[in-house]
Amino acid sequence: MLFVHEVHKVVGKAAVKFEDAYQNGWMPMLAQGSDARLLWYFDLAHGSGLAYRAVTVTAVRDGAAWARLTERMASGDLKAWAGDLDGLQHESVGRILAPLEWSPSVGSFDEIPTDPQEHQPTMYMEDTMWPFPGKVREYIEAAGNIYQKSLGAEGSQMQMHIELALQSMPGAGRYPEVTLMQKLSSLQPLIRLLTTDIPQEIVGPGSWMYEALDLRDQWRSKLLRTAVWSPLQ
Amino acid sequence: MLFMHETHKVIGRQAAAFEDMYRSEWMTALARTDDARLVWYLNHAMGSGPAYQVVTITALADGAAWEALAQRMLVGDLKDLLTRLDTSRYQVEGKLLAPVYWSALQELDLAEIPTDGSEHDLSVFMQDTGWPDAPLDDYIELWDHDYWHFMRQIPPERKLLDIQACFQVAHGSGIRPEAILMQKIMNFSTLGNLLTSVEVFDDPTTWPGSYMIKGLELRDQWESKLLRTSKWSPLW
Repeated sequence: MLFVHEVHKVVGKAAVKFEDAYQNGWMPMLAQGSDARLLWYFDLAHGSGLAYRAVTVTAVRDGAAWARLTERMASGDLKAWAGDLDGLQHESVGRILAPLEWSPSVGSFDEIPTDPQEHQPTMYMEDTMWPFPGKVREYIEAAGNIYQKSLGAEGSQMQMHIELALQSMPGAGRYPEVTLMQKLSSLQPLIRLLTTDIPQEIVGPGSWMYEALDLRDQWRSKLLRTAVWSPLQ
Repeated sequence: MLFMHETHKVIGRQAAAFEDMYRSEWMTALARTDDARLVWYLNHAMGSGPAYQVVTITALADGAAWEALAQRMLVGDLKDLLTRLDTSRYQVEGKLLAPVYWSALQELDLAEIPTDGSEHDLSVFMQDTGWPDAPLDDYIELWDHDYWHFMRQIPPERKLLDIQACFQVAHGSGIRPEAILMQKIMNFSTLGNLLTSVEVFDDPTTWPGSYMIKGLELRDQWESKLLRTSKWSPLW
């Protein structure tokens, strides 16, 4: 399974129409076939970064299924929808991602909801990292062995867990690049992270924060809130 | 057919080693299959933009061929080569391109693409990337009706650019809306005129006619890159 990750720079006045195009257009149209499914529709939380940014993640079965989807958008039944969407966004930036070998699974493709019930929004911290040249494999291995396990440890500073761990596919984004979709189960640790200095034991020698600086020192976090109708929460 | 377009930000001291890996390893590794070929190896001409940037374009039979190649790079026989390429560059930005409906380049016979690294003259391409603030299809049609039709009628002795291909970004692999022209520069002295004679070329009644004015209805942002083929690039 591959994942098409898109960041949409939405026309502010068209934000409602844009979301509607995904809820009542993209999601049900994909559901008519077996090649692709919308997984997540996120809004980048206002107050935490750029305004009017939506993030969508669409699962495709494989490269051939992705190519069929591309053709439908360029010259097939999704062409009109794509053209209409061009009027609702300034631009979108996409990349195609593959799961890391230690990534949790989003489940069976056929079990992804295509007519989801509404629910409370869920917060995610999406982290995107750019390892140093030649260090991506070492970083991926360390992130699985140390970072992922630390999130699940008793007394973890952040109450969140990795729903999906991904890297960009060659030729379809920046490389090397690793993206973690991390679901927050409690807001309090996030607020503490945002409003207080990070304790020395978290950033000092021997810690993940410190030792991983040999592998990368640049990353970006986005706070994303699921739409109430997003297929996955 | 798809085209994997990659822009490499190369570590300056590693530039020769980087090019050699593409010539002696990447090109030949792809030649062992029948669904992928390196087609262009292009250096961004120094003096016209960023230093030590390389553009490579790899032709792929279809989406399955791209996925197979990507998996070879991540976990297969090209894994070690990817690691070594990775240590010779700061980063690479990739996107998958599909020919637009009017592009002269649609399908390539992959079996006919040279893979022996034989040397030839250099050529220079002007790669134009445009970002319309209108629906992408409208922009592609504008290029068809108001640019491509005009440019192909210019007689050879006056021709600056030969538009060899036009692409749009395949879904989810880059920016939308974005479209790209690969234009071979046919006359370097005419290029000199273009670069130095602003008044002439800004005149909407001359090159390329009213296109420069009409185009502003759909976009006012694009980027031209002057890309010079290596002496062994399969296509040039």
